[in-house]
Amino acid sequence: MPFLAKDLDTYRRDERLGHRLLTPEERVKLLKPYLPSPPSRSKSRSRTASSAAKAREEKKTRLGVRRFLRRQYHIFVFALIHIFFSVYIRFRQAYHAVANRIYSVYYHHHRTPELIRRDVKGLRRLPKHLSVILTLEDQRRSGAGLERLLNEVADVAAWCASAGIPQLSIYETTGILKGYLKETHDAVSQKLDFYFGSSYPSVSLRAPHMPPLDSTAPPTRTSHSSRTTSSSSSSSSDDDEEGPRKHISIVLISAEDGRDSMVDLTKTLAEMSQRKKLNTADITQELVDAELTESVMSEPDLLILFSPHVELAGYPPWQIRLTEIFHVKDNQGVGYQVFYRGLRKFAEAQMRKGR
Amino acid sequence: MSDLYLSRIRSWFLSSPPAEWALNRLRSTLIGALSQGPIPLHVAFEMDGNRRYARSHKIETIEGHHLGFEALARVRLLPTTPSAPRSTQTDRNLQVLEVCYKCGVKVVTVYAFSLENFHRPKYEVDGLMQLAKHKLEQLIQHGELLDRYGAGVKVLGRLDLIPPDVLEVVERAAAATQHNTDCVLNICFPYTSREEMTTAIRTTVEEYSTTPRPHSTPFSQNRITQKILSTQTGKSDPLEPISESPSPTPSSTQLDDNDDAASTATTLHSEATTAKSGVDEPVAIYPNAETITPETIDRHLYTAGCPPLDIFVRTSGVERLSDFMLWQCHQDTHIFFLKCFWPEFDLWHFLPVLVEWQWRQKQKARDERPRRRVKQA
Repeated sequence: MPFLAKDLDTYRRDERLGHRLLTPEERVKLLKPYLPSPPSRSKSRSRTASSAAKAREEKKTRLGVRRFLRRQYHIFVFALIHIFFSVYIRFRQAYHAVANRIYSVYYHHHRTPELIRRDVKGLRRLPKHLSVILTLEDQRRSGAGLERLLNEVADVAAWCASAGIPQLSIYETTGILKGYLKETHDAVSQKLDFYFGSSYPSVSLRAPHMPPLDSTAPPTRTSHSSRTTSSSSSSSSDDDEEGPRKHISIVLISAEDGRDSMVDLTKTLAEMSQRKKLNTADITQELVDAELTESVMSEPDLLILFSPHVELAGYPPWQIRLTEIFHVKDNQGVGYQVFYRGLRKFAEAQMRKGR
Repeated sequence: MSDLYLSRIRSWFLSSPPAEWALNRLRSTLIGALSQGPIPLHVAFEMDGNRRYARSHKIETIEGHHLGFEALARVRLLPTTPSAPRSTQTDRNLQVLEVCYKCGVKVVTVYAFSLENFHRPKYEVDGLMQLAKHKLEQLIQHGELLDRYGAGVKVLGRLDLIPPDVLEVVERAAAATQHNTDCVLNICFPYTSREEMTTAIRTTVEEYSTTPRPHSTPFSQNRITQKILSTQTGKSDPLEPISESPSPTPSSTQLDDNDDAASTATTLHSEATTAKSGVDEPVAIYPNAETITPETIDRHLYTAGCPPLDIFVRTSGVERLSDFMLWQCHQDTHIFFLKCFWPEFDLWHFLPVLVEWQWRQKQKARDERPRRRVKQA
């Protein structure tokens, strides 16, 4: 219950005089009407409370009906609120869907890196390390879901490469992509080929605790024998020397790189400590940070969610500390406009780090 | 100018008794109604924007913190407002904690002070410290009133970094409300989540690398080995059942632990030699490090014993977690970033959050039901 203006005024006068106007007892008296009645659960705790509870017990018979009615009334209001809210949220979703559609028409990449680069040019700064959360839809027919996921990964990678973001990490809860590292790499290189033509940027794809897969690595070149990749990849590796923008490194992470990796670290540290190889005082934030950065990934600058609301779904907790989290309300699906708006938001945001 | 008049008229109207009465009825109805639905058990607030609020309203920074702190102090029974002119602004302010507890939220966690905040200008840090001390002192002064809420106060964070005079008050406040376990207000005082996680890891490691002495006390390994040796030498068969019947549990677990720890590598023979040499070498028996789970780390966090975090609210439009509750909120916590500054945050900002959360819970339940049916079929 908020305070009545009169009481509030009294209190503030007291406060201004440095609490000399009222004695503590008077202050208690002033506040008493605003406090809830002593909770029944504390009745065993003190005598006064138990007597109060007894008094309430006596009143119960008389107040039973009233309480019942009040409850019904509350349930009714609750239902009313939720009916209105679901109507409201449908409208909101529809509105956002239309707005997103307009955005996506307005900002479209047309699969040309030049357009994306032009979009990005006006931004004050770009994230060095971008992270996205993708979800595997439809887990029963995993074939279709996986196909779609691969496509999304490739799209995002291509946008990043066009915008000039050197590092991308892709989070997907189940970690299904880790089992298809080569396929993912192929999908990404194909997409980049599609965007950039013959001189597409080189890609290195890795997952924690797995060997990285580079586009210059022999297995990829042989697997792409049907296309003209053998020549293009060699030319891209030549470009690689010229500018760092021509390379993109992608990390695939999943739920097990979050809590579980921290638990694994704790296990290792515990074992080392048990063997007296480590003093527990040496476990510092820097040590943990260095280890987790080494084994999983560094802290991303920007995290883009394509889900309708913010829910991290097990994203590595250590790394997300100062990451700017971007999402578009009620958004469905992966779209370039979300990506672009995320970058724009990031360029505007200021970092203060608690200062 | 007209803006000022408008706000005057508005505040005059809102503070008139009938309007006040109506608003109160409306509030209690809404709260009563919403508590009919699912209720989050644990809500975290990141109180952000005090300084920006102060700047935009052209008041001192520390005043902004005062208004922000009202979030706690006020609802926590003491309507402390440092200065009157903005009374209406703060009047609507922050019944949020009270709302939470009335709805049935068990734990509310607020981010009051970050370790990074120590980098701020000294006068501001000192001001904040004094503010905290002052409010907590008042809280203790009215200790019996806190009991009415059944609320306990806990201060989480690096307590060793708090100035001693403030720390003393902090400890008194925690002690005074210790017996209230119905609901908890966690104040993260000098806190960062990474520090919390590091501390949790360190304490876990410490726990797993200290030898639990009482575990091995009732049976001396030396005696057992000696007995085994003596049976091996050929005599006293009747001893065997006696030594075997009480020993299996401790000795077997100890052996397991030794195997896994692999550190001491004390085999029977080496121990026999030490026993012979008469040196009572402490046998390090460590719990198996492989048994560490996320729950183990959970138990060592500052928020140990709190239910999982359901709602995370950050005000002032900044869309970052900023080192707050990282471990707790990265799973299925619903995170809300609100545009308003913290001193403006009130019931009317919080209720939509709560309603939306309830709606999503319902939605989720509806989504899961058909899936379960499919699985059964």
